[in-house]
Amino acid sequence: MTRRSCASVAATAGLILLVCFAFVAIFADALAPYDHTDQSRTLPNAPISTITFSDEAGSFSIRPRVLAPKMTDALRQTYEPDPSRPAKIELFAKGYAYRLLGFIPLERHLFGTSDPEIRLHLLGTDVLGRDRLSRLLIAIRFSLIVCTIGAVCASLLGIMLGLVGGYAGKVLDTAIVGVADAVIALPAMIVILAARVAFPLELPPLTAAVLLIGLFTFTGWAEMTRLTRGLVKRTRTLDFITAARISGVSGTRILIRHILPNIARPLLTQATLILPAFLLAEATLSFLGVGLQEPEPSLGNMLAAASDLTQLREHAFILLSPAIVIALFVLAVRLINTGINTNEDREVI
Amino acid sequence: MPHYNRCFEKEASIVENIGVPSVFAAVRIFSPVLQFFVRKVIQGVLLLLITSAAAFFLLSSAGSDAFTSLRENPQVSAATIEKLRASYGLDRPVVERYGAWLRSAVRADLGESFYFQVPVTGLVLTRFWSTAVLAFAAIGIACLVAVGLSFANVRSRSRTLSAFTDAVILLFASTPRIVISLFALAILVYGAVTSVFWLSAVSLAVPLVAILLAQFNQSLNDAMHEDFVRTARAKGLNETTIILRHALRAAINPALTIFGLSLGALLGGSVIVETVIGRPGIGALTVTAVRNRDIPLLMGVMVVVSLAVWAGNTLAEVLQLLNDKRIRASEAE
Repeated sequence: MTRRSCASVAATAGLILLVCFAFVAIFADALAPYDHTDQSRTLPNAPISTITFSDEAGSFSIRPRVLAPKMTDALRQTYEPDPSRPAKIELFAKGYAYRLLGFIPLERHLFGTSDPEIRLHLLGTDVLGRDRLSRLLIAIRFSLIVCTIGAVCASLLGIMLGLVGGYAGKVLDTAIVGVADAVIALPAMIVILAARVAFPLELPPLTAAVLLIGLFTFTGWAEMTRLTRGLVKRTRTLDFITAARISGVSGTRILIRHILPNIARPLLTQATLILPAFLLAEATLSFLGVGLQEPEPSLGNMLAAASDLTQLREHAFILLSPAIVIALFVLAVRLINTGINTNEDREVI
Repeated sequence: MPHYNRCFEKEASIVENIGVPSVFAAVRIFSPVLQFFVRKVIQGVLLLLITSAAAFFLLSSAGSDAFTSLRENPQVSAATIEKLRASYGLDRPVVERYGAWLRSAVRADLGESFYFQVPVTGLVLTRFWSTAVLAFAAIGIACLVAVGLSFANVRSRSRTLSAFTDAVILLFASTPRIVISLFALAILVYGAVTSVFWLSAVSLAVPLVAILLAQFNQSLNDAMHEDFVRTARAKGLNETTIILRHALRAAINPALTIFGLSLGALLGGSVIVETVIGRPGIGALTVTAVRNRDIPLLMGVMVVVSLAVWAGNTLAEVLQLLNDKRIRASEAE
């Protein structure tokens, strides 16, 4: 396989992963079998449900059934499956009511069980008996929305400042570059944490989301500004810009109609690179308890459960599943970037 | 990995760009070395002033301080809180407070931490030292992997190894510190590895390995196509000597730029690694300061971090000057 086709495969794989993430974000409610705040206090820290292919009589059946977990040790919270009460697994089962995309009222979920008493937990339950898979799906939705809006805001601010810096006079340019350099040089996480203190530490979900987006915009614009400014400086010396200027086109119009479309591609690549950075920042803040707070799930505050070391020892995979999701998302964006850049370089050379 | 390089070109110029050039016209009569140091010191002072002022005004203007949480306590009256605030000087205007903070900061006195009840300077420096040791271990690991793999790549010219290197870069670049440090914690719990220090260092190093390896592999490859390498080959030197004595030295400078910049990134990364693994350092200290709204401590952290970032950049530049005669020549002109 040549390097180029290899890069195409990588980019396609990344794109497929990213589409999956978008799908999960849009249909999180339909995919989640249970309400993410629904607690069953009798089943804390239950493991992944046992699925069998035998019916009540014990003979083979093609229809999978889920066995109810029975607590064997209340102190150590160990369970074993109870073979006396299997419940059928159903597709498009009826569950809690939700609104798809915020306005289509629905009650069907991708899967569920025939008996509402016996629940199917594909990732087990957390310390309050809430279904981890449902929480993970809702968390992905929250994280993706916040990091996408954050990336758009930061990119817009960065591009605007970069355009001004690249085209305006020397004093303004020096000031913008100076501040941008300082912002890039300082560690983003510490700056975000320091800025976070200026606001109340515990916030309702919507306010928290707005605040996180604000913080990301405030700290994430600088790289974009540097890139835009450099590209504008390079582009403004080209002949067609001089021609536009001679014809009396205004500065703003030159920037927006002539320069911006010509530098859009590298800017778009940079914008996608901001996405994983913001996803990580959101996860980190929520992990530290200053981002999105319980009972709302986020990738970060779900990971906080992993600091319970006895649980981590028992159920490492379940507890670290949000970390795997984060790694997959970052990998998807990296794959796309590697693919695009390898092919772009070939085109230039 | 061309796109990494694009990022670095952009970052490389950070080192040159902080500061106002016209100020230095007066200094031009001095020697280039002195000029360099004067420029660096002005840059450092500017960076410190900007970050400390921004942090101070942001934190003060938000209207919440260490006593905000007391307001919800019904047993503490508003008058008591005002008295407490006055005793810490929190009732004075922001500009005056910043002036006072700056005056004592010049004497290396950063005030007293609300939470720990000890002087900030000593506390921050101790914790910073602990993180700095960790960061240097991480840089060491990253350098070892980057130089080793790049050398093997250039020496063997094997396609499989090159593909492997690309895979390592991709994998390491997409393993964030929050993920790797949680997995390190799991390893620690299972008892497979017991050294907290080295596990933290590896967690801190992972994303850096990708950046450094991508850059070093590329620049070593580029260096192998330079004229001086061809000359060395024509002289009949063996390939290992050519790489180690000639190409490596030319490839080191871009990597040094990354080293300077990575100190800041490592300090940022230490926030998550130290909190997850539970190692006291500047990152864990920042989290404690944030959770307890300890603003003097947070200011101290910001100052030390800015200083470290500045020192890292300066050190990288000095090393670059020592390594490459061409830069020295252009500075002298």
